[in-house]
Amino acid sequence: MSQSTMAVNTASGSRGDRALMLFARYGFQLMLLVFILFFALNSPVFFTVENLANVLQGNAILLIVALAMTLVVVAGGIDLSVGVALDFGAAFALVALKTWHWPWQAAVLAALTGGALVGLVNAILILGFKVKPFLATLGTWFIGSSLERVLTDGGGPIAYRRMATAYHDIAVGSLWGIAIPVVIAVALMLICYLLLERTLFGKRIHAVGLNPVASLLAGVNVKRNLFWVLIASSVLCAIGGVILSANLRQFSPLAGQSYLLDAIAAVFIGTAFHPQGRPNVPGTLAGVLFLGLMANGLNLMGLDFILKDALNGLVLLVALVLSFWQGRLRQRLQWQQRGSS
Amino acid sequence: MSDMPQPGLRRRLAFPIDKIPLLLFAALLLFFCFQAPWFLSWQNLSVILTQTAPLAILCFGLACVIIGGGDDVVSGGIDLSLPATSVLAVAVVSIGVQLDVSIFLLALLAVAAALLAGLLNALMVVRVGLPPLLATLASSVAIVGLTNYLARQRRISIDAPWLVAFRDGDLLGIPWAVWFMLAVFVLYQFLVHHSRWGQHLQASGGSREAAELAGLPFKSLMLHSYLLAGFAAALAALTLLSRGSGSSPGAEEPLLLEMVLATFIGTAFSRRRVVTIWGALLGALLVNALSNGLALMRVDIFWVGTVKGALILLVLSAAAVQRRGQL
Repeated sequence: MSQSTMAVNTASGSRGDRALMLFARYGFQLMLLVFILFFALNSPVFFTVENLANVLQGNAILLIVALAMTLVVVAGGIDLSVGVALDFGAAFALVALKTWHWPWQAAVLAALTGGALVGLVNAILILGFKVKPFLATLGTWFIGSSLERVLTDGGGPIAYRRMATAYHDIAVGSLWGIAIPVVIAVALMLICYLLLERTLFGKRIHAVGLNPVASLLAGVNVKRNLFWVLIASSVLCAIGGVILSANLRQFSPLAGQSYLLDAIAAVFIGTAFHPQGRPNVPGTLAGVLFLGLMANGLNLMGLDFILKDALNGLVLLVALVLSFWQGRLRQRLQWQQRGSS
Repeated sequence: MSDMPQPGLRRRLAFPIDKIPLLLFAALLLFFCFQAPWFLSWQNLSVILTQTAPLAILCFGLACVIIGGGDDVVSGGIDLSLPATSVLAVAVVSIGVQLDVSIFLLALLAVAAALLAGLLNALMVVRVGLPPLLATLASSVAIVGLTNYLARQRRISIDAPWLVAFRDGDLLGIPWAVWFMLAVFVLYQFLVHHSRWGQHLQASGGSREAAELAGLPFKSLMLHSYLLAGFAAALAALTLLSRGSGSSPGAEEPLLLEMVLATFIGTAFSRRRVVTIWGALLGALLVNALSNGLALMRVDIFWVGTVKGALILLVLSAAAVQRRGQL
């Protein structure tokens, strides 16, 4: 595009362009602000410290699962078996505590092993048999949830009320006045952020996700990096499973599935906050908080639960559309600026 | 790939690999024939065929979208909202029948709702640029929410005379639902594989860039494929309605996984390992025959998911290994 046409373009629509630019930069954040204001006006409790702390605590597990999803999506894949990994973590921990009478530290280790098993199956399928991540993890999901049903005689929960208080505290205790799940989630978030943005491993994962062939040619061991991403993702989910099982004091089969869609949504909403539209850890946090605040706000409005479900689906749809539209607009504006300068 | 195929050792070795899924299916069906004496009885076969109808029709719709968008599951075309759309149409019709609305108006309403869902998906994918997987997963959640809101999460049974006639009647000994499935199959087979539009759709799915350079309107082809998929969901609603004699909440969940499974198993029946309408029909039949055979053998229902999951992974691994043999 030549210089003169660009100049004419910017001159004729400078006001509209500026509005567009503003939207491209802050559109989603503005929407979030409007929603928060709406809820705050509707319910006096919404904007209290207790309620916001509740939102944080209630979404700690979702944040952990969404972090796992972020890792996989950055590497260019997707993981539909996060729910199964979470369930396996919870199941292994409870069986270790209840049947084998292991100390709680060993039970946590057992949970991580259970999660790693799921990741290993995924890695064998994706890296060994070259099945596409979506279908491979879909298969793992199928098989894993069916196994959960088989082993629990159709999905009955395994309850263990008299578990060690130290284990129960993982979910309900607090450290320096902050709920322990929140502490764990924030710590994991920092680790994931540093891993992805500040280490060579992270750079390699980004490279593999953007262009696997190019990174292979540049000397990155694509398979080894993807292997560790898949394992890390499942282990993260298993940590979520530990918190869930500690909170409920039981393992309920198929409980993990409910996190899948929200985790995917949070990751992709988070891409709106990145200049290049890449999945990123702070964006994922924003996505999780958005979903959590929405659900909380709708809850506080005291709507009937069926209507609330319907509205939640609608909000999810609108949020995704807005965040992607914003990302696309920003990319187009950047491209125009580069063309004009 | 450019030179003529040469009958070498490698080729002979590669031969059985891509036939593994088919051989395995044949072996499983044979096994059922011997183990479950009623498997091959006409009554059982007609039950399998009737129960396949909703799944097969949904698979035709999904096949359209995958053929048009390319078969990469994340960046290519996929429509996971089809079962939800179909269940929405079922709920709309069931509620309408209870309120004594005329059936033509209801049919129109159901088709309009399904097309609207297709349009919504297409707009999100083509205009906004959402990955189809994400867009249709999200719209699926929204549509399920809407369905539950409309039907209040209740089971609505209906026994309107036309529905009973469709459910229990037959022509030449073959149930109406099976005729209906075959008619829809012929329609979609013609549209996708034997019409100019279908050729364009296949071209754009094969390579978007090449199709655009050749002057094909990629975006409107995508839009059409999503609308056609929505239409299939509306058609599947009729068979779903007759199978369940009304609407039940949560009917979309098993359908979603089976739809994806059957459509991708169908690739085993095409020489180029691509999604086809014909393959989707066979895949749907196989998935249902499998469920039926396992049930006849009194296999624990909870194992069925494992068997199906293992099957899809086997088919896909065989396809991937074969692709590596070609390269």
